Amino acid sequence: MIEYRDVGMHYSDDTQVLHHINFTIEDGELFVLVGPSGTGKTTALKMLNGLVVPTDGNIYFDGKRIKEYDIRKLRLQMGYVLQNISLFPNLTIEDNIGIQLEEMKRPTAERKQIAADLLNTVGLPAEKYAHRMPSELSGGEQQRVGIIRAIAARPKVVLMDEPFSALDPVSRHNLQDLVLQIHQKYNSTILFVTHDMNEALRLGDRIGVMAEGDMQQIATPQALLDHPANDIVRSFFSGISKTDKPVVELLKQAQTCTVIDESEAQSLPQVDALITTADLVTTLRQHPDGVVTHSGGRLFKITMDDLLDFLAAGGEALV
Amino acid sequence: MFKQIEEVLRTQSGQIWQAIGEHIAISLISLLIACLIAIPLAIALMNHHRIAEFFLQVAGVFQTIPSLAILGILIPFVGIGTVPAIIALVIYAIMPLFQNTYAGLTDIDPSLEEAATAFGLSRSRKLFRLELPLAMPMILSGLRIATVMIIGTATLAALIGAGGLGTYIILGIENNNNALLLIGAVLSAILAIVFSALIRLLERVHFTKRGVIVTLCVFLIACGAGAFKYFAPSRQTITIAGKMGSEPEILINMYKDLIQQESPKTKVVVKPNFGGTSFLFKALESKQIDVYPEFTGTVLQAIVKEKGKTPHNPEVTYKKAKTALAKDNQMTYLKPMAYQNGYDLAVSRSFAKKYHLKTISDLAKVGDKATAAFDPDFYHQADGYPGLKKAYGLHIGTVKTMESSIRYEAIADHRVKVVDGYTTDPEIQKDHLVVLKDNKHFFPPYQGAPLMTTTFADRHPEVKRALSKLAGKITTTDMQKMNYDVTFKHEKAATVARHYLKTHGLLN
Repeated sequence: MIEYRDVGMHYSDDTQVLHHINFTIEDGELFVLVGPSGTGKTTALKMLNGLVVPTDGNIYFDGKRIKEYDIRKLRLQMGYVLQNISLFPNLTIEDNIGIQLEEMKRPTAERKQIAADLLNTVGLPAEKYAHRMPSELSGGEQQRVGIIRAIAARPKVVLMDEPFSALDPVSRHNLQDLVLQIHQKYNSTILFVTHDMNEALRLGDRIGVMAEGDMQQIATPQALLDHPANDIVRSFFSGISKTDKPVVELLKQAQTCTVIDESEAQSLPQVDALITTADLVTTLRQHPDGVVTHSGGRLFKITMDDLLDFLAAGGEALV
Repeated sequence: MFKQIEEVLRTQSGQIWQAIGEHIAISLISLLIACLIAIPLAIALMNHHRIAEFFLQVAGVFQTIPSLAILGILIPFVGIGTVPAIIALVIYAIMPLFQNTYAGLTDIDPSLEEAATAFGLSRSRKLFRLELPLAMPMILSGLRIATVMIIGTATLAALIGAGGLGTYIILGIENNNNALLLIGAVLSAILAIVFSALIRLLERVHFTKRGVIVTLCVFLIACGAGAFKYFAPSRQTITIAGKMGSEPEILINMYKDLIQQESPKTKVVVKPNFGGTSFLFKALESKQIDVYPEFTGTVLQAIVKEKGKTPHNPEVTYKKAKTALAKDNQMTYLKPMAYQNGYDLAVSRSFAKKYHLKTISDLAKVGDKATAAFDPDFYHQADGYPGLKKAYGLHIGTVKTMESSIRYEAIADHRVKVVDGYTTDPEIQKDHLVVLKDNKHFFPPYQGAPLMTTTFADRHPEVKRALSKLAGKITTTDMQKMNYDVTFKHEKAATVARHYLKTHGLLN
C-alpha cells in the first residue's frame, strides 16, 4: 500500500508546486492522477521513486517512509515508463527490457527468456524484435517496449508518467488496452499520470483529479462523472458536455456503438436517445451488458466500453 | 631533389624506420597517459560542472603555451630526452580528450539519465552501460584530435633528444637539406593520417569489440614501453652526444671506438643529431649526457659569454675557454683536434688560377673583379664580411646574400666566384673549391675538443686518456673528406670514423 500523507513541495523562492495532498493507493490498484499540466502530478509521481524529494510530509510504502529505504533497492522494485519513452539507444530491445534484471544480477539466459516472452505477449515477435535497436522501431512499438521494460523485473509498483501523450490516437488506444491487460494479468499496482481526462476515465480504478497543486477529488470514473466535487472537476468534462447534441448522437458519429436488430434488443434495457452523459454512465453501471436506444429509425447497442472508448479517443474532438 | 630523397631512403632506411618507431612509441605512450588522466577525470567531474569548467580553462591556458616553451620549462625539472617530450605531449593531449569526453558525458539526454536512475542502476552500470557508450563517438573524436596533434607536435621531441621523425626535420633545417626535411615532414604527416584513419575505423566497430581492441593496444604499448625501458641505457654506460650534422656524428663515433678500445667493458651510447649548443650544454650539466665535442670559439662566444673580442690565436682561444669552463662550470675541456672549422672564404678553382689567389690578401687586390654569394649572417656580422673589409681592405664588386646551401650551388654553376663557408664543409671537395688562407688570422679559431664535467673526467681517467689521443689529429682536409664521404657518398658515420682511426694508427 502506498500512502501520501500531507505531501507538499515548495521551492526556496516559496513557489508552492504541491500543497498538502493526501491519498492512498491500494495494492493491485490502477490509480490515475489527472489534471492540466503544471499541477504537480508528475512531481507527486516522482516522489514515489525518489527522483523528487518532498519538502513537506511523507510517503509511506508498505508502512515505511520512502526516505528510510535504500533508494536504489527501492527503485529496483519499481517500474518506470517515461513520457518520451527513453529506451537506451545504445542497447538492443532485449537488453533494454532486461536492464533492471541485469542490475539484479539475473543470468543472461533468464533475461533473454523474460524479454522474449514479454515481446511475444505484446505482439512484437521476439525473433524479429529482440536484437533490433530502439531507433528501428516506430514510436508506438517503442513505447510498447517501454512498458514491458517497466514490468520485466516484476516490480511491486509501476509508475507511468504521461506515457502516451506523444503518440497518435490509434497507438494510444492500443497501448491503453495493453496497460489494462497487464494490470489484469499481473495484478500490479500502477500509478498513472495523464492530463487527458478520457484516458483517466478509461484506465483508472480510481482517479485523483489535481489542479493548481491541490487534490480536487478522488473517486471512481463513474462517481467522477456522476458527482463532480466542484467546478474545476466539472470543467474537465466541459469538452463532452458543452455541446447540446445528446451523447447518443455523438456515439453514432464516432461509430463507437453497434447497430443491432430487434431480437437482440429485446434482452437489453432501453434508454431515451436524449439521455445525458452522466445518466448514461449510471445506467450502464447497473447494466454491464449494455443498453439499447432507438435513434433515426435504427436500434443501437451501447456498452460501458463503447462510452469509455469514445471518451478516451478524445470525444471532445467531435464537438 | 627526388634523387636525393630516394638516395636517403635507400641508404638510411634503418635509421628512418627507427625514427618512425620512436615517433610512434612517444606518441602512443603520451596518448595512453593522456587518456588515463583525461577520461577518468572527465568521468569524475561530469557531475561537478563548476570544477570541470575551471579545469577546462586551465587546460585551455596550457594549450596556448607554445610547445617549445613547455619543453624549455621542463628541462630544468626532468632533464632532456623522452620524459620531458612525453610530459609536454600529454599536457597538449589532455585538453581535447577531456573536453570531448566531458561534453560527450554531459550532453546525454537527461531523460535517459532519469530512466537509468529510476530503474535503480548503480553508478558503474550507468557509466558502462549507458553513459560511456553514448559518449563514445565524442570521446573517439577527441582521441583522434589528440592523436593528430601529438604526432604533429612529437616532431619537436627531436629538439630535446627524444628522437623521432623530428630529427630529420631539424637536420633538414640545420643542413639546409630539403630531402631530409621532406622525409621527416611527410612521414609524420602520413603517420598522423594513418592513425586518424585507424581511430575512424575503431568508431565503426561494436562497443565490446572496441574494448577488446583498445585493451590489446594498451597491452602492446605497455610491452613496448617495458622493452624500451629494458633496453634503455642504464647510468653505468657512457653517453656521448653530438650536434646536428655529419661532422659531430663522425667525431662521437671516434670517441666511442677509442673509449671502448681503452676500456672494452664500458658500454658507450652515441646520440647523434642531439640538439643545438645550449641544449647540449644543459644536457651535459644535468648529466643526461657525459661527453660531447664542442668548438673552442663557440665556448667563448656562446657558453661562457666571454666579453671582448675572441682572440685570433687558436691556442690562446683554447686556453681561455678551458680556464673559463673549469672555473665557472666545473667542466673539463680536453685538448682540441688539429682541424679548424671556422668561417672561410672559398673561390672556384678557375678563378683562383686566373688571378693566382692563395690568401685573402690576394683576393683583396682583385676584389672589384669578383662576385660573391654570402650567407646573410656572414654579410652582416662583425666577424664576417664587414670585419674582412676592415682587416684586409677587401671590397668585392657584387655581393649577393643567399641561404647557406644555395650559395654553394651558385658557385658550382659559376654564377659567383666567391662564397663564405665553414672550413670543413664537404662541398669544398665536391665542387673543387679553393679555400683562401686567412693570412691575417682574422677569423676566430673554431677547434673541436671533447667537453665533459670535471666530476666525470675524474671518475673516468680512461675516457680522458682515450679521447686525448685525438688531440692535434685530424686536419681540415681530413675532416672535409670525411664529411664528404658521409654527406654525399652516404657512407655510415661509424664506418668513416673507424676507417680514419685505423689508417692513422689510433685504433688496432
